[in-house]
Amino acid sequence: MSDGKAFNIDLGRLKSREKDHDRQAMEKVERAGEDLGFVSRDGQKRRGRRPSLRTGQVHAKVMPEVSEAIANEAKRRGVQQGVLIEEAWALYINRSDI
Amino acid sequence: MPTVVIASPKGGAGKSTAAILLGTELAHAGAQVVMLDCDPNRSLTLWADRGPLPDRMQVLSNVSESDIVKMIKHHDTDGQIVVVDLEGVASRLVSRAISQADLVVIPMRATTLDATIGVRALQLIAEEEEALDRTIPHAVVFTMTKAIRSKQHTGIAGSLIEQGVDLISPALMERAAFSALFEFGGDLRHMPPQGNMEGAIENAAQFAKAVYTRLTGEV
Repeated sequence: MSDGKAFNIDLGRLKSREKDHDRQAMEKVERAGEDLGFVSRDGQKRRGRRPSLRTGQVHAKVMPEVSEAIANEAKRRGVQQGVLIEEAWALYINRSDI
Repeated sequence: MPTVVIASPKGGAGKSTAAILLGTELAHAGAQVVMLDCDPNRSLTLWADRGPLPDRMQVLSNVSESDIVKMIKHHDTDGQIVVVDLEGVASRLVSRAISQADLVVIPMRATTLDATIGVRALQLIAEEEEALDRTIPHAVVFTMTKAIRSKQHTGIAGSLIEQGVDLISPALMERAAFSALFEFGGDLRHMPPQGNMEGAIENAAQFAKAVYTRLTGEV
């Protein structure tokens, strides 16, 4: 059989690029993949629900009846209370023309 | 040194054959090659167990979703090329490997079914490019092609070119020698003659050269 080389490798011309390995980059990649159905097929899946994107906290004290009303509404809609605060904030921005 | 990821969510597209041809030809041309077998079917490992590996080549088996990134990072060093053979499903392993690629090669048979499913790899690359804010070079190679091009092949190729997809030329033809790699192991140059051996070697070498020119930025 032929031992002739169709080409020679010039190692100096082969360049690797910088790649993101950090957790944030990998999370972005995984979210992009999951949207297209590229999901985990490994046996050892992460248990429990996925971590929420809502990690920012506010420390507002409100009257007990308001607290209860917000909690009830969030429960009724099946969302986190932060979602209601985000919506309230959006309304506030619109009304205040900020 | 670069990492070449061989990816297609379609099984039977010719990923492992393309990976072996690429790896063995790059090694023959003088590169140190590390092959990562990420396919649960262990096609590369079965091939590696069949016969002596070519010089300058190493095959690492059972690479999983949890260690693909660190494996690539560990081996993506000066003096060697990493070739990653993926499983033929849509999985997180595939998306993680693509994120670490310098070039993604998408093997595709020239059929409507292969093209339809293969396009999902192109969509994934586009999404990852946006998520990572970097270009991930990629190219499609037709596999198991016949000497006479079918209308379907011409139509699919034309459609991909219209969409700006880079097509690797030459395609990998359907050849007895390529299938026989899994019977004899090793590379094309050291197996008993199978069909048109010179043609098979030339096809594989030109394919590897076409990939090499993409790695060096000539294309």
